[in-house]
Amino acid sequence: MEMSPGQFLLARVDDVVRWAQSSSVWPLTMGLACCAIEMMTATSAEYDIARLGSEVFRPSPRQADLMIVSGRVSQKMAPVVKRLYDQMADPKWVISMGACASSGGVFDNYAIVQGVDTVVPVDVYVPGCPPTPDGLLYAVNLIQQQIREGGRGGLLARA
Amino acid sequence: MTFSTTPLSPELVSQNGNVMVLSMGPQHPSTHGVLQIMLEIEGENVVKAEPEIGYLHTGIEKSAENLFWSQAQTVVERMDYLAPLSNALCYVLGVERLLGVADAIPERARQVRVLFAELTRIASHCVWLGTHGIDLGALSVFFYCFDLRENILDLQEATGGARMHPNYFRIGGLNGDLPDGFTERLDALIAKFPGRMKELRTLLVGNPIVQDRTIGVGALSREDALAWNVTGPSLRASGIAYDVRKAFPYCGYENYRFDVPARSEGDAYARFLVRLDEMDESMRIVEQVRKALRPGPVMTDDTKIFQPPKETIALSMEALIHHFKIVSEGFRVPPGDVYQAVEGPRGELAFYIVSDGGNRPYRIRTRPPSMYNLQALKGLAPGNLIADLVVMIGSLDPVFGEVDR
Amino acid sequence: MSPWLIVLIKSAVLLLVVITSFAYAMLAERKIMGWMQMRPGPNRVGPWGLLQPAVDAVKLIMKEDLTPNTADPLIYRLAPFISLVTAFSVYAVIPFSQPSPGNLWAIGNVNAGILFVLALTSIGVYGISLGGWASGSKYPLLGSVRATAQMISYELSMSMSLIGVLILAGTTSLAGIVDAQHRLWFVIPQFVGFAVYLITAVAETNRAPFDLVEADAELVGGFNTEYSGLRFGLFFIAEYINMLTVSCIATLLFLGGWSPIAGLSIIPGVAWFVAKVALFMFVYVWLRSTFPRIRYDRLMAFGWKVLLPIATLNLVVTAIVVAFTG
Repeated sequence: MEMSPGQFLLARVDDVVRWAQSSSVWPLTMGLACCAIEMMTATSAEYDIARLGSEVFRPSPRQADLMIVSGRVSQKMAPVVKRLYDQMADPKWVISMGACASSGGVFDNYAIVQGVDTVVPVDVYVPGCPPTPDGLLYAVNLIQQQIREGGRGGLLARA
Repeated sequence: MTFSTTPLSPELVSQNGNVMVLSMGPQHPSTHGVLQIMLEIEGENVVKAEPEIGYLHTGIEKSAENLFWSQAQTVVERMDYLAPLSNALCYVLGVERLLGVADAIPERARQVRVLFAELTRIASHCVWLGTHGIDLGALSVFFYCFDLRENILDLQEATGGARMHPNYFRIGGLNGDLPDGFTERLDALIAKFPGRMKELRTLLVGNPIVQDRTIGVGALSREDALAWNVTGPSLRASGIAYDVRKAFPYCGYENYRFDVPARSEGDAYARFLVRLDEMDESMRIVEQVRKALRPGPVMTDDTKIFQPPKETIALSMEALIHHFKIVSEGFRVPPGDVYQAVEGPRGELAFYIVSDGGNRPYRIRTRPPSMYNLQALKGLAPGNLIADLVVMIGSLDPVFGEVDR
Repeated sequence: MSPWLIVLIKSAVLLLVVITSFAYAMLAERKIMGWMQMRPGPNRVGPWGLLQPAVDAVKLIMKEDLTPNTADPLIYRLAPFISLVTAFSVYAVIPFSQPSPGNLWAIGNVNAGILFVLALTSIGVYGISLGGWASGSKYPLLGSVRATAQMISYELSMSMSLIGVLILAGTTSLAGIVDAQHRLWFVIPQFVGFAVYLITAVAETNRAPFDLVEADAELVGGFNTEYSGLRFGLFFIAEYINMLTVSCIATLLFLGGWSPIAGLSIIPGVAWFVAKVALFMFVYVWLRSTFPRIRYDRLMAFGWKVLLPIATLNLVVTAIVVAFTG
């Protein structure tokens, strides 16, 4: 929802709220594997996720809006991921970053959960092994777009 | 779905007196991944620390047994994700020794391998320094380090197409020659590097707060370091200048001049300085490789192991058959076993590879340096503050992909 | 107009001004830190990212307000407001420019202004320590214990460093102190006091390199770990407003408040005041992006064994000098 200044006053309240929510998506500091390094790289000078207002990585799940499942989720880690998701305050979104988080990737074996969507609901999947930081930025853009269109994570959309 | 394992909960640990049980991790900003440490603390003093690993257990060794020799390299690269090329180099060297083609690797391929092994060491130390800076609370270091790392990743991307896991080293050589314009970009990096290192040293080395936070913290004595089987920068900071590149040279390291930085204090500050010096030494090797690079083949011509070049397939029946065989069922490796060690950024990284003569590895056992280094934490932590524990974890530089595998 | 109405209007205007300055102090911090780190910082929302603080606020308001089961519900909910109210109340006595007829530039001209400010900032620590304690969780508890210890010890050195100024000025009224600096800013005779104040002010507001209370590398989020949504936002606002407050105090007590530099009195006093406060805020950001975090026990030792003796010595010397020179 791109707004020109003239439309601003006429916009509906929930449009404004969604626009605000979409422009301030704070991710949770949760690094799992290889993708975590690329997630960190997305905050670095070359990519700078701060441009999207998302550089505020919160270590506490209570204050985070976005969980980036960055890497392979082992059977042992899956309950922890679930718990962290439950601890996050609504509205919340999930990006499944990388092939391993999305589908198990090359690790089709006893140790890895075959897709984190069996544990938490995922909004955007990012392909790649690991995805480039550009890929992650695009995923954040897609999350923002979902929020603006009243996607699932939105509080108002559910009411 | 059901889970076979449950995370260690604080209630499971016995409690007594004034001791509070605190679970640090597996999601904690400074456990560098998914380490969980069950702490017993009195106030902020750590009484007991029990590291709990396995939150990233991926079954890589088992997966590798079900893949062709060349495919197994893919999963092996994903163990130490800060230095994938070191893993790849170690695996590739080991398999080449089993195949008996170790001496047939062209000179240029060996040079480029050394080049990337050292670049990846710098990149890995960049991540270490950046995250260690965040542990200490120095935020800007992260950005300066990652900027440098970005240049190295660009070079990796140019060779293999992927930024982190390029799969550029292949058994028998390299996946293609260096791309056009590579040397110019390398030269630019070589020119940029000393200035950036000088900045980082100015920012950190003499900084009183950094010294205050790291000097005397997590001091690992020479004897303890040996007893815990610590290797790499952490061992060298404790006064033992053991480096696989010098002790058991591989891949032509004996041809390059470099020093092995070592210090005797064994504390976090010593480890910090050793790693900084190592970055400089690595760049020294990179410069020497750059000067020594000569055009030449980058693959052995043994078509039992390699796919023949694409252009010969249409012309030669033999080439076509070799190509088909290698793609569809891989190549076979003579029975035997080999222990191949390289100096990874975190220490002695080694694979013990067993072949039963088939087209898949029979067993790949890893010696992950971070796992052995991390063991020392249990002995180091008690009696220190939580803030020191964070510094200790950072200065041991564990990578959990490698610890848990 | 009745005086009450005037006070009410002034309060409303001030509330607006302080909240706006908080918002843009935060944005400026994100931007300046970005530039120091070779990156642009937030720039998508509005021109140059100027609406970023507004959208953050709206988002935090719309976020779910969680209260953990283990928390003490009343104190848990009250704590952010203690922090915020005390942070705001300080502005009741801060004069922003030369007191003119009708006292346009301050809400109240309390003759013990500086004592009022110190008293209120002391209460502010309750918000943090109660919030951490009432969360019923371990990391916040550690954070609030740190907060209490740190703020109590540093408050002492802070007050000590200010008394030198009070002796020189001979008054505790903030406007009076600024008037006393019309010839020479107190930063010159009270240089030691100024240095001690600068350090303790950073510690008092829990900012880097003394941000042990919320040290995310050690304590996840410190005292605010369990807080979500608006309540977390209130702590956040209180922290920034406290930064503004200590910068205002530094400006008033050491940098001559609204008095112009080099006789440039064509620029209004309030502009000078804002510029000086902005300078301090910049120093905050600069410190944060440069220095690592100091260790907790070192911080306490530094406060008690270095800063307090220096501040006391400074006070004694000042008192002696004033006593003999009149």
